[in-house]
Amino acid sequence: MLAYLIFALTIGGVYALLALSLNLIWGGIGLVNLGLVGFFALGAYASALLTGAGLPVLFGWGGAIVVGAVAGLVVTLATARLRDDYLAIVTLGLAEVIRLVALNERWLTNGSDGISGIQAPLKSALGNQGFNLFYLAMVSAVVLVVWLVLRRLDRSPYGRAMKAIREDQELVGFAGKNVLGFKVQAFAVSAAIAGLAGALYAHFQSYVSPDHFQPLITIYIFLAVAAGGVGRPAGGVLGAYVVVFFLELTRFLPDLVPSLAPAQFAACREILVGVALILVLRFRPQGLLPEQIVPAPKS
Amino acid sequence: MSRYTINRRHFLGASSLLLGGAALPSFAWGEGEPIKIGTLTPLTGSGGPYGPVMADTVKAVVDEINAAGGILGRKIEVVSEDDQTNPEAGVRAARKLIDVDAVSAIVGTWASSVTTAVAPLCWESKTFLATVSGADSITELPHQGYLARTQPNTTLQGRKFGEFAVAESAKRVFFVSPQTPFADSQFQNITKAIEAGGGETASLIYDDKKPSYRSEVDELLRFNPDAVIFGGYAPDTTVMLKELYRAGYQGKKIAFAYAVNEKLVDSVSAEIVEGCYTIAPSSDESSTAYQRLVELIGVDKPDPYTVQVYDQINLILMAMAAAGETTGTAIKDNIRKVSQAADGAKVDNARDGLKLIAEGKAVNYDGASGPCDFTDKGDISDSSFRYEQVRGGRLTLVKIA
Repeated sequence: MLAYLIFALTIGGVYALLALSLNLIWGGIGLVNLGLVGFFALGAYASALLTGAGLPVLFGWGGAIVVGAVAGLVVTLATARLRDDYLAIVTLGLAEVIRLVALNERWLTNGSDGISGIQAPLKSALGNQGFNLFYLAMVSAVVLVVWLVLRRLDRSPYGRAMKAIREDQELVGFAGKNVLGFKVQAFAVSAAIAGLAGALYAHFQSYVSPDHFQPLITIYIFLAVAAGGVGRPAGGVLGAYVVVFFLELTRFLPDLVPSLAPAQFAACREILVGVALILVLRFRPQGLLPEQIVPAPKS
Repeated sequence: MSRYTINRRHFLGASSLLLGGAALPSFAWGEGEPIKIGTLTPLTGSGGPYGPVMADTVKAVVDEINAAGGILGRKIEVVSEDDQTNPEAGVRAARKLIDVDAVSAIVGTWASSVTTAVAPLCWESKTFLATVSGADSITELPHQGYLARTQPNTTLQGRKFGEFAVAESAKRVFFVSPQTPFADSQFQNITKAIEAGGGETASLIYDDKKPSYRSEVDELLRFNPDAVIFGGYAPDTTVMLKELYRAGYQGKKIAFAYAVNEKLVDSVSAEIVEGCYTIAPSSDESSTAYQRLVELIGVDKPDPYTVQVYDQINLILMAMAAAGETTGTAIKDNIRKVSQAADGAKVDNARDGLKLIAEGKAVNYDGASGPCDFTDKGDISDSSFRYEQVRGGRLTLVKIA
């Protein structure tokens, strides 16, 4: 049971990083990124390939951040004129393109077989149990650091400018701010965080394949951020852990309703995820931890 | 908050229910904790059509054994989880099965990516994993014996094509295929079988997007083959068959059943595809195990994965009984003793097998998917295949062997 809890918390940490990434771009500057899982995949593959070529794990993670950020830059520059639904559709397509490239470029990604045996740092020295504890501590520390940085950003003048763009980008443009510059920077940072999450996930599981990166994860993360509170980093983190525990706890429901067949029960679990999202949006649209707008200090 | 206060009567009622519920299983099972076995099949996602029947089949077999007294005096409990045809979700489900339920074995992983993701968790925790995934790379993993599969890999399929060509007295065999993950290993194993029969082979890899294969067919005919094996899919095989017909090729044609399927046969004129053989892995429909399975689950034509998972659970139950222990390691060490013991009595189900094992006799399980003998790596060494031929414009069954 303990091992299972440690595992669930580690996965919760990876989801929390993704939620922080999405919250920065969606809650912060108001761009809907439905391609989150694509950046997650880029980071995972980048680190798997770099460490597979013999580089140390930390280089792999650094590489994942860089690859994520560069992809973020390319996407924002390529879609500079797109907003709202149009951007959402393009990013959704982008994630599928990344998955299909991973599926078809065998020379690089090993196709549908995926890359297995990815280095798990210190696993031989720590043993299974030790490694799982160490990884939980490390992922949690990364979540803490990223959360603190993003919270600082959220409360700074930079954060206020981002939220002003979210509310009315023309107005911010008239006020002399470089709207595109803000967007590019925010998207790059957000994509870099998603890439880092992917790298952490890849080295935890030791295996990545195109099947890992289906749009389902993006939906879970949207649920997490919506439930936690759009526009507040702490909300995204809380929401991510809540979603993972919700997904895992529902596994134990058949013990209460033994008459359901496994297939019926599996369908019910998916329905519950949808119902939960509807209930949150209906009864607590601001999320568990609503956004705080701190007034600018008087100069 | 005051609306939710608990009074003493409610508390007593609720807690006695809880305690009663917790106590009930231990009364009911009598001796010892139940043995737990997990099914990890795709109940949702692209494998969704197969997983539910697979999980039900495992449950049906276990119910039958429980009714006959269980194993080693203990009952067996099946815990079903959904892998969502997704390795990320599959790993989470497997973690729960291993860490919370402490299952001895997991059966039924379907997608190759899910199996590859779940396999390390299994061998690290000494849990046995039985799968129906086909990718060659799976049994190459360092699984230390904790993995076995009943789905024939491409090595075995290639050998079957070669052996069939030899049986049809072909001496010069040509293999044409587009670039697929299995083209190379397919050709190597065809060659091995043909050379063992004293023949010769050659191969050609083509681009499956080309509209015409004139130059490819010229090269093929220069080899002067008496049999051609097609490694492609339906669209490119259609074009290839047409070109061969136009070039006047008279020899034998052998293809995968998924390429030369009914749709292809209907869409081209009869003389182009006449006489072409097709080969596909098949359940052993004539076996007694298959007939028992059909009766047990009440499904007329169970799909190959259901048939395989039926064999897996039977083997795992017998391996536990033969070991006198129920751990994953015990299953790993004993599964080959019940699947392929040379001097074992042939059995086709675990209930009969368990009786013999209890009497101290050796058993050799022949299942619904085939003889179910495993190599050291965890692949099956033989399987039934279904051979058909296009006769008079229709696919006609030649044999299942």
